[in-house]
Amino acid sequence: MKFRCERDPLVEALNAASRAVTTRGSSLPVLSGLRLELHGDQLQVTGSDLDLTISVRAAVSGDADGVAVVPAKLLSDIVRALPPGAVTVEIDDDEARIGSGRSQFAVRTIPAHEYPQLPEPAESSVSLDAGAFAEALRQVVAAASNDESRPILTGVLMAAEGDGLRLVATDSYRLAVRDLPGTSVLAEGQQVLVPSTALRELSRLLSSAEAVTLRLGERDVAFEVDDVRVTSRLIEGDFPNYRGLIPNAHPNRLTVGREQLLEALRRVRLLAREATPVRLVLKADSVELLAITQDVGQAHEELDAKHDGDELTVAFNPEYLIAGIDVTPGDEITLETIDALKPALIRGVDTPEFLYLLMPVRVS
Amino acid sequence: MSPAGPASDLPEQRPTATILHVDMDAFFVSVELLDRPDLRGRPVVVGGDGDRGVVAAASYEARAYGVHSAMPSARARRLCPQAVFLAGRYHRYAEVSRRVMAIFRDVTPLVEPLSLDEAFLDVAGAERRLGPAPAIAHHLRERVLDEERLTCSVGVAGTKFVAKLASEAAKPKASPHGPRFGPGVVVVAPEDTLGFLRPLPVQALWGVGPATLAKLHRMGVTTVGDLAALPEANLVAALGRSQGRHLHLLANGHDPRAVEPERRAKSIGHEETYARDHHLRSTLDRELVGFADAVAARLRAEGLAGRTVQVKVRFGDFRTITRATTLPTPVDDAASLLHAGRALLDQVDPSPGVRLLGLSVSGLSEAGVRQLTLEEAAKGPGWERAGRTVDEIRARFGADAIGPAVLGGPDGLHVKGRHRQQWGPGGRSGDEPSTQGDRGPDGG
Repeated sequence: MKFRCERDPLVEALNAASRAVTTRGSSLPVLSGLRLELHGDQLQVTGSDLDLTISVRAAVSGDADGVAVVPAKLLSDIVRALPPGAVTVEIDDDEARIGSGRSQFAVRTIPAHEYPQLPEPAESSVSLDAGAFAEALRQVVAAASNDESRPILTGVLMAAEGDGLRLVATDSYRLAVRDLPGTSVLAEGQQVLVPSTALRELSRLLSSAEAVTLRLGERDVAFEVDDVRVTSRLIEGDFPNYRGLIPNAHPNRLTVGREQLLEALRRVRLLAREATPVRLVLKADSVELLAITQDVGQAHEELDAKHDGDELTVAFNPEYLIAGIDVTPGDEITLETIDALKPALIRGVDTPEFLYLLMPVRVS
Repeated sequence: MSPAGPASDLPEQRPTATILHVDMDAFFVSVELLDRPDLRGRPVVVGGDGDRGVVAAASYEARAYGVHSAMPSARARRLCPQAVFLAGRYHRYAEVSRRVMAIFRDVTPLVEPLSLDEAFLDVAGAERRLGPAPAIAHHLRERVLDEERLTCSVGVAGTKFVAKLASEAAKPKASPHGPRFGPGVVVVAPEDTLGFLRPLPVQALWGVGPATLAKLHRMGVTTVGDLAALPEANLVAALGRSQGRHLHLLANGHDPRAVEPERRAKSIGHEETYARDHHLRSTLDRELVGFADAVAARLRAEGLAGRTVQVKVRFGDFRTITRATTLPTPVDDAASLLHAGRALLDQVDPSPGVRLLGLSVSGLSEAGVRQLTLEEAAKGPGWERAGRTVDEIRARFGADAIGPAVLGGPDGLHVKGRHRQQWGPGGRSGDEPSTQGDRGPDGG
């Protein structure tokens, strides 16, 4: 294999694919490498930990086709450190030579035949608007769990809902649901569970893109954005019955300016340390925010708001509350409550496509 | 204008000696002797009796043979085969300790217990009511002897660490001809502090372990007096800034630490040392079930919940590893602790042989504060209520009335708990919740 290209696009391709290369010790040493495949003037760089695969196409000026696996970190570090300008890469049986100007590196390669066969993406594809999908991911993915011991909850449910697509995530403390009406990706009744790690990677790519192509296979899903393809194994198992978690009715409804509430919470949070909650005292025409950390101090702030229902105090983990309000659209939001121990519902006024359900913190 | 002397920036010392360190004499053994007067005058050792148990306490008669606490029980047996070995009864010691501490609190609310058998008292405020600190010290000894038939030794000084050294000097000493009574109370007035400290070996200072000791010896420092004579800069150069400054202060009789009543526990845990190494994950898993049950019960008893769960594993070769995880919300139920503990144990290969296993929880907060879950809102209370029900059953019918099924055997159920624990290589501190992890190197 031999090709030449500019340093910067090569750095970009190597970095993007490296994000799927596991930094923890893998059972397969070959997965610590990036797979390079050259066809004519097209270089494909692939990194994978078997669950997540990121593959990047880059235009180069090719001299000789071939396939090789090169240690990922070393290759990225070398290319990034080269002076700007053209880079030459030449790989034979067991050595990759990387050069630019008067800098020359020779790196031992990993036998390419050891690289596992990765699943081919499905033939059929659906195209989605990248902006809308990016927003939906931003609203939902953060509510997925990071707890590897509960794998189901580390996924984001993608389900057909009416004529559209619904994204759902929960870490058992909060639940985020976002509808993308008119986006028919799945057959009626179909649902898949996509690892949130893969969707986080995808989110990074969407900001600059117009469209994202989705290819759904039996056991995996691929997202294509410009020259990058993110493939992920689907999580097997049944997602919790999230509909059953959402109460049918909330007797109390607070309506408040989103930005004012966010800013106040960010201030009051400073005194909600060591897992102490922020208390919301919901009154007829105001909401009081209160944080008390023993031996540290306390913060108090009162906001104008409209509250229909009983006066009541509910406490929340400030991080979860802020995260939910932050992704709720609109200038005004509603916080609907039942009592201090039941889930509260956050929605934008006039934005029915998103909801955020949050469990309170019990304070005895 | 006088040049700034080396002592000018040192923390202030009290003008009079008003800090007491009270240390019960051979506490566990003395409590045993109350219940077994027939053993009085004989060498008695309290501690783990398994192959790997250690001595928790030794009578002065046993100490004459070289037996001391934290020594492996097997070695104690060789040194003093005629000694009476007792397994130890934590509950009984705790009960007596509570009464003794209550006597201390009659004198002053400023009582800082270090363990079951020692405490610091700040009596500055009590002097007007009860007389000067040395008199209070004598009065305390008399009351403890009168009410509990136990002896203690009291050090009186202007700082905590000098008070502790003074109580050491006040203690009875073992000798081949039987115990020799000590003075019982030793008072080191602030103006006598340097004279008291000077002849002591440097290892008497808090924070001088073997490594520091070796460095100090290389510098020709063997006594506290040698150390006090060194300029602080030399010590900082040899030992680093914090250690150098710390020892400089101590050697000159300064210790800014105040007596802190009601020190809050920083972690709650349970660990056990095994008579034989365990190689099987399944065995360790069963142990973990019992530990989670015991730790959860203690958390609930103290009204606490914790977020950080740690598993500690010591292998047969004493290599010790810990693995910890932080949960999104504080927990106080056995199921959550076990779930987290198992995930941590998964990261450990037990096949080389596990000598000690421990489970502990830190990041403690009031248990009343808890992030609720959507599942429990939908399904109703889960393990949380189960845990409280377990507590109620145990309070009525005893610890072994209910417990995890895997702890059952042909002879019934044996749950884990402090009262069941053998003293392992870690000695008493291993099962002492209020002092685990937050104890200065001067504790013990």
